[in-house]
Amino acid sequence: MSALGGLLRAGASLCQSAGTLLHTARTISTGTYCQIRMHAIPQPKQVDRWNEKRSMYGVYDNIGILGDFKAHPKDLIIAPCWLKGFKGNELQRLIRKKKMVGDRMMTLERHNLEKRIRFLYRRFNRTGKHR
Amino acid sequence: MFRFTVAVFGRGVAKRFCSSFPAEGALPPNLHLPANLVDPSRLRRPPPLADCSLPLLRRCDAAVPAHLSPMQTWVESLLTEDGEPLGLAQLHPDVFGVNPRMDILHDVEKWQRNYKRVSHAHTKVRSEVRGGGKKPWRQKGSGKARHGSIRSPIWRGGGVSHGPRGPTSYYYMLPMKVRVQGLKVALSAKMAQDYLHVVDSLNVPTPDSQYLQDLIRHRQWGESVLIVDVAEEFPENLLRATADLKKVNLIPAIGLNVHSMLKHEAVVLTLETIKFLEDKLLWHDQRYSPLYPFRLPYRDLP
Repeated sequence: MSALGGLLRAGASLCQSAGTLLHTARTISTGTYCQIRMHAIPQPKQVDRWNEKRSMYGVYDNIGILGDFKAHPKDLIIAPCWLKGFKGNELQRLIRKKKMVGDRMMTLERHNLEKRIRFLYRRFNRTGKHR
Repeated sequence: MFRFTVAVFGRGVAKRFCSSFPAEGALPPNLHLPANLVDPSRLRRPPPLADCSLPLLRRCDAAVPAHLSPMQTWVESLLTEDGEPLGLAQLHPDVFGVNPRMDILHDVEKWQRNYKRVSHAHTKVRSEVRGGGKKPWRQKGSGKARHGSIRSPIWRGGGVSHGPRGPTSYYYMLPMKVRVQGLKVALSAKMAQDYLHVVDSLNVPTPDSQYLQDLIRHRQWGESVLIVDVAEEFPENLLRATADLKKVNLIPAIGLNVHSMLKHEAVVLTLETIKFLEDKLLWHDQRYSPLYPFRLPYRDLP
């Protein structure tokens, strides 16, 4: 590719000026080859915009307003139980996970969770500008 | 380089060519129109006039403010493929004629996409990656760079220092009145653009999906149709007809939402659905703010 560019540049310079520059064509090589090799340009992926999930997306989101407030949209969320209808930063999520699911966790996972909570507590409350 | 030379040489040629093209009205040949451009000459039925002979099938139940007047639309039927409208219906202007607030629509659509989102991307930190408790070589004298663990973020195979951490939720709630206003704005937008159709009932003569498709194509409702009804059970013919069709979808009135209304081109409501929607959406204009959540019993709320 870079060799081709060099040749064309040489060709252009030849066209523009007369014979004085005939022997100044230089080939340039960058020294590497293209790592991605393909037989052809890949096909764009076919996305079905009207499958069941996409056409029914968002249905029942207003179940509270239109359904007499018997249910809340946060009941529709599919998530681990400590994250349903909850948003927080990492420390808040981990503390909530420990409260709700901590006694069901595996030992190694629980140990890592406690280490991470201890680290984040010290990081947020003892270092930096905002403590 | 090649493209540059071609452009430099070709520009002069193109200029000389263009002047020989005909005219003002003809579209330029390299015009690229988007594939989903709506044809503006789509059948726009004229809104019903005041002196129409068809009966008024529905009046507004709620009180209409004095400075506004109810909007009128045709009521059609699904029984015949090319039926004439059966009558007229009045729609409340505070639900179907609000100002087109695009910012509210954008906010509600963004909320619908994000409040359910839980990202499960997770990377291990250096303390969680297996191994790496021992100092790999002594601090001084080995000639190598000093390191404390083989799983530090600098190392290949080490932990990620600031990566995504665990299942993260993006939950938040918009104020109730904003969500209600979003529904009203979406309904008004569909009404104003002639994409809202009122039907007296959802009885279809055959369970044939081809019949529905021909009906939609003949009446020029659009590519995709969202049919909304209040009843918990839908007529079996319609269920079987829409089961195979991807772009014609049936939802109960409780499931109405801004995203579905924006995704489908046409929205078809029944008269009971309109009553239900007006009832639910107009209540929020004149309610007291809740002292405790609405899901707990109130004396005067049904």
